[in-house]
Amino acid sequence: MDFIVDMQGLSKTFAGRSSTVHALQDISLQIEPGEFVSLIGPSGCGKSTLLRLIGDLLPPSGGGLSVNGKEAHQARIDGDYGIAFQKATLLEWRTVRRNIELPLELAGVPEAERRSRANDLLQMVGLTEFSDHHPWQLSGGMQQRVAIARALGQRPPLLLMDEPFGALDEMTRESMQNELMGIWRETGTTVVFVTHSIPEAVFLSTRVIVMSARPGRITHQIAIDLPQPRDLAVRESPRFFELLTDVREALRGRTGTR
Amino acid sequence: MRVERLWPPLVAFVVMVGLWEGIVALFSIEAFLLPAPSAIWTSFTQNSATIWAYGMRTLTEALGGLVGGTVLGVLVAAAVARWTTLRLGAMPFAAAVNAMPIVATAPIFNQLFGSTNPVSKMAVVALMVFFPVMANTARGLNEIDDSELELMRAMAASPFSVLRRLRIPSALPYFFSAMKVAVPLSLIGAIVAEYFGGPQNVLGQYITNRAQLFQFPDAWAAILVSAIMGITLYLLVLVVERVLMPWHVSTRTSDG
Repeated sequence: MDFIVDMQGLSKTFAGRSSTVHALQDISLQIEPGEFVSLIGPSGCGKSTLLRLIGDLLPPSGGGLSVNGKEAHQARIDGDYGIAFQKATLLEWRTVRRNIELPLELAGVPEAERRSRANDLLQMVGLTEFSDHHPWQLSGGMQQRVAIARALGQRPPLLLMDEPFGALDEMTRESMQNELMGIWRETGTTVVFVTHSIPEAVFLSTRVIVMSARPGRITHQIAIDLPQPRDLAVRESPRFFELLTDVREALRGRTGTR
Repeated sequence: MRVERLWPPLVAFVVMVGLWEGIVALFSIEAFLLPAPSAIWTSFTQNSATIWAYGMRTLTEALGGLVGGTVLGVLVAAAVARWTTLRLGAMPFAAAVNAMPIVATAPIFNQLFGSTNPVSKMAVVALMVFFPVMANTARGLNEIDDSELELMRAMAASPFSVLRRLRIPSALPYFFSAMKVAVPLSLIGAIVAEYFGGPQNVLGQYITNRAQLFQFPDAWAAILVSAIMGITLYLLVLVVERVLMPWHVSTRTSDG
């Protein structure tokens, strides 16, 4: 049983001026390679904080955490994960291609290899003809595709995504979800996906982790048994709507699902 | 820039100069009150060898100070951006220094370096230019989006990489807006410093001397030279800005 992410009794507190805030309390979660796991919950439930603990962008206050079989710090140094945020955070002075090459450049990948890898990634996200454009010339959806391509640069076994489609309109959002499904199947990478959209979580995931706030903790884990590959038919199936209801009920704090 | 956009300012300029000329002629305004553009132009062409030679000396002082002040400003900005304690300690002090009229120090620098030494003028210019460059560049180096820093951290970027690949490119627009302020300041600094004494063959002294002799068209012709130099320097900054950061909002063209 080799988990790609293994959390044991993980907690995170932020020291405030007069009191300490328990952002996360006693989080135990194991994620297997190849899973697509969504973290969903009300704002303030610590789902983004949890993602940042996995990425070693924040230190945990207590408990155990291993990422790709190592300490989170080592996993970050080794480039074991790629990350995408709600904001595309592209460097505006770099072209699309050079943005995608950034993590490869930082890892010291030789130029020829960088170029061919970037070509593959550009093709994967369908932006080959935009490779020499600057970010401001792209739509929001295209910018987010560049950010995802960049995150996949080093073929990481783990992809961390913090509401990557949160700022997109509904139509773009659905097509991005379809695209992400394709990328996930193609690369076999594990995804940890933070969202506050119930349909998004259900459509994308193999497992939905429902969290509650103050203190942030896991209340439910719902396995999503929808067939693969996920397509429009899946979105319109009765089972999809049943699972939406399950997640919604779980978010409301009712027990009795699985 | 499109040709259509060149027309309005050009027309405005011609109309303004025409009005000026007309009013001076119509009301027979004395040359010591306001010389006509034609009189200024005559002086400008007749004395062009002299005033351009003087102008070049003034320009050398301005550029010397500009380069010195900018280099110093950028270095201090880098230090201040790197060490928070230094920033907290130095910034109020720097703001206080900036609030004082720096040209007032010109007589002191004249004594320190010798009034005939161009370094005395450069020192005044450097001091004037230093603060806007330092403050702006420091802000540019520091005002980085949290998510961009997180991204660099996630990609295990070294502090040097963050500086080179994130902080410096982010600071460039701030640096250039500082340069657009610093360029006119450098000429002001050099000319005003010259008013306080030094060699006679510079613009500041020429303007003072001609004005004292009521030769106002000559004084205005020298001011025209300083204006041409100032505008040229400013345009040069715009060109360098365009070359160094073609991606930026300020240089974007609508068809880009």
